[in-house]
Amino acid sequence: MTASVLAAGVLEETIRAFFQGLPIGAGFALVAMSFVLTYKTSGVFNLAFGAQAFISAATYYELHVRRDWSIWLAVLVAVVLVAPVLGLLLERLIFRHVHAASAVAKLVISLGLLVALPELFKLIVDYNREQPFGAVGIIPDGTTVYRLFGRYPVTRDEIAAFVIVVAASLALAALFRYTRLGLRIRAVVQSPRMTELNGVNADWVSSGSWMLSSFFAGLAGVLLVPTTSSLGTVLEPTGFFPIVISALAAAALGRLVSLPAALLGGLALGVVTTQMRTHVPRDNVILAELQGPALPYVMLFAIIVFWPAIRRQVAGADPLLGVSPPPPALAATSRSRGMTIYTRVMALAFFTAVGIWTFGYANNFWISRITHSVIFSIIFLSIVVFTGLGGQIALCQVTFAAIGAFGAMQFAQRWDVSVIVGMLAGAAIAAAVGAVLSIPVMRLGGIWLAIATLAFALFFHDVLVKYDWVGGSLFHGRGVPRPEFFGVDFSSRENFLILCIAVLVLVGVLVILIRESSTGMALRALRGSETAAESIGVISWRSRVIVFSVSAGIAAIGGGLLAMEEKLVGYESNYDPQTGLFWLVIVVVLGARTVEGGIQAGVAFVIFPELVLDRWLGLHGAWRYVLFGFAAISFARHPEGLLEHGKRRSQAMMQRMFARRQPAMAAATTGPAVPTAADPEGEP
Amino acid sequence: MSDALEPTAAPTAAESPAGATVAAPAPLVIPVLELRHVNAAYGPFRALFDVSLTVGEGETVALLGRNGAGKTTVARVASGLVEPTAGEVMVDGNDFTKARAHRYAKAGVVHVPEGRAVFSDFTVEENLTLAFSRTHDRSGVRDALSRAFDLFPPIAQRRRQIAGTLSGGEQRMLAMARVLVETPRLLIADELSLGLAPIVTDDVYAVLARIREAGTSLLIVEQHMSHALALCDRAILLDHGAITWQGPSAEAADTLAATLFDTGGE
Amino acid sequence: MSLLVADGITKRFAGITALDDVHVAVEEGERVGLIGPNGAGKTTLFNCLLGLLRPDAGSVSFDGQDITGLPVYRRARLGIGRTFQRVELFSGSSVRDHLLFAHRIRSGTGALWKDLIGLGLPKSAEIERCDALLESLGLGGMGDEPIEALSLGQSRLVEVARALMTQPRVVLLDEPSSGLDRAETNALADTLARIQSEQGFGMLLVEHDVELVASFTERTYVLDFGKLITHGPTPDVMRDDQVRAAYLGDFVAGTS
Repeated sequence: MTASVLAAGVLEETIRAFFQGLPIGAGFALVAMSFVLTYKTSGVFNLAFGAQAFISAATYYELHVRRDWSIWLAVLVAVVLVAPVLGLLLERLIFRHVHAASAVAKLVISLGLLVALPELFKLIVDYNREQPFGAVGIIPDGTTVYRLFGRYPVTRDEIAAFVIVVAASLALAALFRYTRLGLRIRAVVQSPRMTELNGVNADWVSSGSWMLSSFFAGLAGVLLVPTTSSLGTVLEPTGFFPIVISALAAAALGRLVSLPAALLGGLALGVVTTQMRTHVPRDNVILAELQGPALPYVMLFAIIVFWPAIRRQVAGADPLLGVSPPPPALAATSRSRGMTIYTRVMALAFFTAVGIWTFGYANNFWISRITHSVIFSIIFLSIVVFTGLGGQIALCQVTFAAIGAFGAMQFAQRWDVSVIVGMLAGAAIAAAVGAVLSIPVMRLGGIWLAIATLAFALFFHDVLVKYDWVGGSLFHGRGVPRPEFFGVDFSSRENFLILCIAVLVLVGVLVILIRESSTGMALRALRGSETAAESIGVISWRSRVIVFSVSAGIAAIGGGLLAMEEKLVGYESNYDPQTGLFWLVIVVVLGARTVEGGIQAGVAFVIFPELVLDRWLGLHGAWRYVLFGFAAISFARHPEGLLEHGKRRSQAMMQRMFARRQPAMAAATTGPAVPTAADPEGEP
Repeated sequence: MSDALEPTAAPTAAESPAGATVAAPAPLVIPVLELRHVNAAYGPFRALFDVSLTVGEGETVALLGRNGAGKTTVARVASGLVEPTAGEVMVDGNDFTKARAHRYAKAGVVHVPEGRAVFSDFTVEENLTLAFSRTHDRSGVRDALSRAFDLFPPIAQRRRQIAGTLSGGEQRMLAMARVLVETPRLLIADELSLGLAPIVTDDVYAVLARIREAGTSLLIVEQHMSHALALCDRAILLDHGAITWQGPSAEAADTLAATLFDTGGE
Repeated sequence: MSLLVADGITKRFAGITALDDVHVAVEEGERVGLIGPNGAGKTTLFNCLLGLLRPDAGSVSFDGQDITGLPVYRRARLGIGRTFQRVELFSGSSVRDHLLFAHRIRSGTGALWKDLIGLGLPKSAEIERCDALLESLGLGGMGDEPIEALSLGQSRLVEVARALMTQPRVVLLDEPSSGLDRAETNALADTLARIQSEQGFGMLLVEHDVELVASFTERTYVLDFGKLITHGPTPDVMRDDQVRAAYLGDFVAGTS
């Protein structure tokens, strides 16, 4: 008797959770289908969908809530007008021109957009982020509760979301099945060149599918405004991360290429989410986390690691695949000897001048800025090691830096150990975590690695930091002392700056040693051609795991120093995953290939918003996201970085000037050049 | 590189009277296709060296040579799939050098690539619909479909089958049906007989002979040359990316055998 | 016992039999050709030998050891070197770097701790070894050139040099003549013949260029429609009517 009542109760809860899960899953499914659509038609793994969804949602909010437009007009503008136009612009102005680039290069561009677009939107619209945002759906009286079958409560918003997604999916299916555009999109997916041979302009079709996918992302953004409040989000671009991650998980179920799998996967993950919340016991801490914010990340990571479909390499269905030359490798040509000498002389002069000024004349503010620059240079060297040398993208450097910072803090607080020891212990932990994390995903490489590391970064941010043994307790605070060892006190600003410079020099030398030695050779070989590297016996994943681990350690050392400089772990301002995306963007934009590039990025990251934007141009600091975000577009063409590219050009110019006196030298540089498809000097 | 994506306006001879007064008088007969000193490359991998050839109105030309000699690249340049690194491509006297493949197709230059040149995830019917829907409305597509199935009865029975599951010969027929329902200005066919049973090859060449009668120019790329030589007026021999010989088909066989198997007087 | 043996290799793709019970063997120090028209299955066989494809039936063995299931890098470490039809060099690295990388990976001195204390930097003995090989391939003095500055023929030689630095016992060459003109092909063949007679490794040459195979190899296998149609001493194979028919069609075979 009691058992059956209990069973009935469980059944009822299950059904209730099922109905609550569908609308959430519907949102996942919409974004997941957007991912699949653009990935299939243009090879772009567009992480910027998070930004596109945000823009539509924020436009809707701006128009309806703040300017009192009617719901329907606001939806019309936000979803039917803004979203497709945005998609069209992205395709026309950006992605069309990089279609020959590798998937990783395209991913970097989409990361830049993810950083830049929301900030640009906020600057243009003067978006008021302080004003608390009440969840307003696109249905009048959306919070009205109905009872399905007389017992299962659902809100009007949830019903609307589900109905709209189902309708949109059916419409999409019909479009693909019965219309000319649908047939052409499917054709372009299989082979753009075969489609062209049929007299169809494949670029137009691509534009169409971008508009379509952007429309879906915008629709998802608007629909999810009310439902996301339950996921604990506010209307900020980061608020869409959990949804984007869940959508990624759904899309990954179909190997990023199957639309039906994305739809069903999204719905299923939505239902799984609510079922976990209902049924998993809350008394266990880990299980309790799985009901909340941890779930999307764990799901995504688990799918990437365990879902067999991802491992299956699909042979290209395009019979004309051989027509295009393979995409250029992410590495640029190595520097000439003259270039190296030239840059070293310039750097020496520059740093001498800065050094004299800093220690002689600078005030406290500027000493602190310069210390920050040095520390960020160290952190960015970790990106130089992994992305510059290894040619792969990882999005969790920020997490490793945080581990270093928390390491220093925890060791100092709990065991009263020197912060330096704590920082090194943090670095060792980060290196170990890096190795463990990367072993299962490194074989997949490319965009999968980027996604998995992003999932880890967000998991750390939303889950792990909240534990006392990671993020510290409220009681102790997050204070970190400055170090003192071998009788030297580094607590003064100047002394600490000297320590940081010493660490930077040490790390810089280590990076150069790695680059020039066996490990670096294996990486350069892999970056140049993975097939050829394996043909001489390189084990690709092993070299990359080693260097990923080293890079994690370097990031942690930088993170530890940053905490000491600021005398506390400023986690929210320094180490959140969004910041981490910007780190990667700024490093690859300025130059990820050399130690010098990392230092330039470090300086630019700290000084640029302060000096150039604020003092010289009088612009809002957020413009840095916009400027560097859009500059990431250059990555496809100048993977060596813009500054490096500029230096090469200026050095080439100087060489030409000298060449008038030494004609032989000019002959050597212009050499027996092999004709190539791409003009290296052209601008997109 | 991005400039290449912009369709270039191709002034026709009639539209440029100013140029006509200064330039040499245009030839009386404008060839359907002309390659002028074309070089082509796949990245650093150079495939054609200074290739010039013409295909006249109603003419049939066989492009012969061993594997890897550059025949397929000529076909790809002639249909806009590969943009030459140097030289010009003219279609009916208009400059098509920078034009993309869909513009060639619209100008009536159609290309059946080598191998399984079909959309393998589509049904037979969808493959053909994609080709026909550019120029036909819904009922026109239906008519064109039925004409295609008349032309190649074996694929008519498989109209709802996924193209990837067809046999090699059927896939070839499907690829041919796509272009043979209309009579194109120029048909470029790459290795039609590759992997086909001899009897099927005979069928395919019979269809080619029929459309030649209808006035279509042909550029036939073949490694197995017997059929091609029987069909074509003229042959062009390629070796290592350059034209080594051209002339009437009748004389081609001896030259070709010599090139392939004589080891240079050893 | 032969050095590299493929025995009874069968490989199907989506119902089409690309290779049907093919047997190929290469001895140490021997120059063997593998020819056949387009679509005959040469590349498929090549990929089965290298470990890029796993055959549906049959086995591959090297020096008596079954290597059918081994990944590419393990076979490379056993002593199977290769070159690529479409040149696969490490963009951004100099000519000498290519040889240095290969040497390092083969000699297995790549521990990270050594790198970090500066023991991993290139040593002068290694550099001399690389330059000596470049010299003997006619690339002397080009060690510092970026590979982007090389002609295709030179790039092919760099591929050969890179393969040789792994001390292979057999080298598989994938259409070394493609993209080269006649003179460049002949120059490449001369260099290959000389270095092979000096070092004594076995060679399997997959080629379209019948002329090159005729002048270069001692034995030849001929594939057509995935089947081995004939094999034997190269001059005999070149006189075989079946081979002529496979290449030219019945029309020519009948008239000549």
